[in-house]
Amino acid sequence: MLDIVVCFKWVVDEAFIRRTSSGDLDFSSVDYKISEYDRNAIEAAVRLREEYGGSVTAVIVGAPEAAKGVKDALSRGPDRAVFAEDPLFRDLDPSQTASVLGQVISSKTPFHLIICGEGSGDVYSQQTGPRLAEFLGIPCAAYVQRLTVKEEKVMADRKVEGFIEVDILPLPALVTVLPDIATPRIPGVKDTLMASKKAVIKVGKNELTAVPPPLLKTQSLKAARVERECEKFTAEAEGIKRFVAALQKRGVLK
Amino acid sequence: MAGVWVLGENREQLFELLSIGRSLADKYGTTLAAFAFQDTQAARDCIARGADRAVVLKYRGQEGPLDVFMPTIVEEVKGKDPDMLLIASTYRLKELAARIAERLKAGLCSDCIKLVFNEEEKSVEMERLMYGGSAVQKVVCLSRPAMATIPPGTFEKAEAGSGPGKEGDVDEIVQTNEPAVTMLERKVREREAKDIREARTVICVGRGFEKKEDIKLAEELATVLRGEIAGTRPVTEELHWLPESLCIGLSGIQVRPDLYIGLGVSGQIQHVTGLRDAKVICAVNRDANAPIFGVSDLGIVGDLYDVVPKLVDELKKGF
Ligand SMILES: Cc1cc2nc3c(=O)[nH]c(=O)nc-3n(C[C@H](O)[C@H](O)[C@H](O)COP(=O)(O)OP(=O)(O)OC[C@H]3O[C@@H](n4cnc5c(N)ncnc54)[C@H](O)[C@@H]3O)c2cc1C
Repeated sequence: MLDIVVCFKWVVDEAFIRRTSSGDLDFSSVDYKISEYDRNAIEAAVRLREEYGGSVTAVIVGAPEAAKGVKDALSRGPDRAVFAEDPLFRDLDPSQTASVLGQVISSKTPFHLIICGEGSGDVYSQQTGPRLAEFLGIPCAAYVQRLTVKEEKVMADRKVEGFIEVDILPLPALVTVLPDIATPRIPGVKDTLMASKKAVIKVGKNELTAVPPPLLKTQSLKAARVERECEKFTAEAEGIKRFVAALQKRGVLK
Repeated sequence: MAGVWVLGENREQLFELLSIGRSLADKYGTTLAAFAFQDTQAARDCIARGADRAVVLKYRGQEGPLDVFMPTIVEEVKGKDPDMLLIASTYRLKELAARIAERLKAGLCSDCIKLVFNEEEKSVEMERLMYGGSAVQKVVCLSRPAMATIPPGTFEKAEAGSGPGKEGDVDEIVQTNEPAVTMLERKVREREAKDIREARTVICVGRGFEKKEDIKLAEELATVLRGEIAGTRPVTEELHWLPESLCIGLSGIQVRPDLYIGLGVSGQIQHVTGLRDAKVICAVNRDANAPIFGVSDLGIVGDLYDVVPKLVDELKKGF
């Protein structure tokens, strides 16, 4: 039996961010999504439960609009969700997120294993998982590609430059996972219906001991998108010929 | 006490951090210290390349996970109160840095690509990418020490000065605590690929390929163009059709070829951010609205299974 906590974030879909003529970011037509690799983390948690028995609790720290994400997450197989909700939680730095997650997890949900995605799709600072482990004082392995659980221990294949390090962690422990840990499922209509019946435990800011002050301050945020004027060619013989001629003209054929 | 400290897994990383570390230490008006793991000679060479102090962190017995050194480093920092820690962004050190930062309650700028000293505030302004590479975020740490992880390859290596080499002692610190995590083994990754960061021509395989065997199409194109093969993250790190070290983008490598050709690559920002410095970017995609065309110079709208063989033939004619 394995009680698993999986953490996920509700983020801006960066594909919808536009750039204004002055180089600022335009969020006016953005949509939101569960951070890419948190979906893989959720899938990994659900598969471990299927294999070893136990439970999966999905935990999120976010603003009220992340409620949509809670439902999305639950349609992917977890048994219940814990939603730490406050408008202030829209913009936390990694140390603050780790603190809120840590407080919520230790008060609301006993666990053997915590799984986080390697990094979030928006900030991608890859700090929250390791900071959370440290906050809770439990062992940690980051960038894990494979997980096996055996007798109060977890074996983690973690990616390191040049090799794979196979580590043994005593439980309770935390791992952050790479996308190849598990391919996320696409929830069906039935999954979505089931999701609305699952328990969501909401935790407000006033139920926490404290939200620590930020340790990082963002001074500016500017668009960096590279745009080029694309000359398009067809796949007909003539198009290919002209394409090759264009390459030649640019001096990149040697 | 104060100082700028650098921490890297190997000599190259240490030397790169020493060059940015030196310039920041001079601006802070403080000293520069280098921390190496296991390799005493690397630590010694750091002194020749500008460090005022060098420390080697040693395992008591066999090598294991790097996190046994975390309490030691945290104690060192608490005792000596450095201004700033610069750490190489490797998989293991990114984790270690985040945990050290949490213990110290310090701010950490991840994957920092630019550091500018602000004379008035005596602080360092740091830049990093956000939203998959579509934005540049400038941050400052509100803590002491300030911390940053820096991707290998971001700065030039510090050189040993001419004239008589600087000498200094290397302090050795042996692991003090018992590890919570133990290492069972180190497995060599099945396939290691060569380093393509400096390749002149790169042919990139995207998810538009239906199966692994079909990559030979891309290889034929690479052969006529004398280029190297690379891949997007799904093809490398998820499907493992190509070695992981060939993944171009935010979570992979940066390339700066004269010619990049993406085959069946959609052109999501996390991938494209790895090609920022390519001279000519080309794409073959059957979807005329694929984002890759918005960041390309030349593009062919068509099925790669049809286009690539024709392209190979046409190129063969030209040579
Ligand atoms: C935090 C984070 C980090 C990431 N880091 C990276 C990274 O470092 N590198 C990276 O690459 N990605 C990265 N990604 C993933 C990235 O967002 C995209 O999902 C990925 O780049 C898409 O890969 P692709 O273009 O191969 O596949 P897809 O997006 O699936 O695109 C396939 C394309 O092929 C075209 N196609 C299909 N069949 C054919 C055909 N027969 N002929 C021609 N065209 C065809 C389709 O029109 C489509 O445009 C990251 C994502 C996140 C969230």
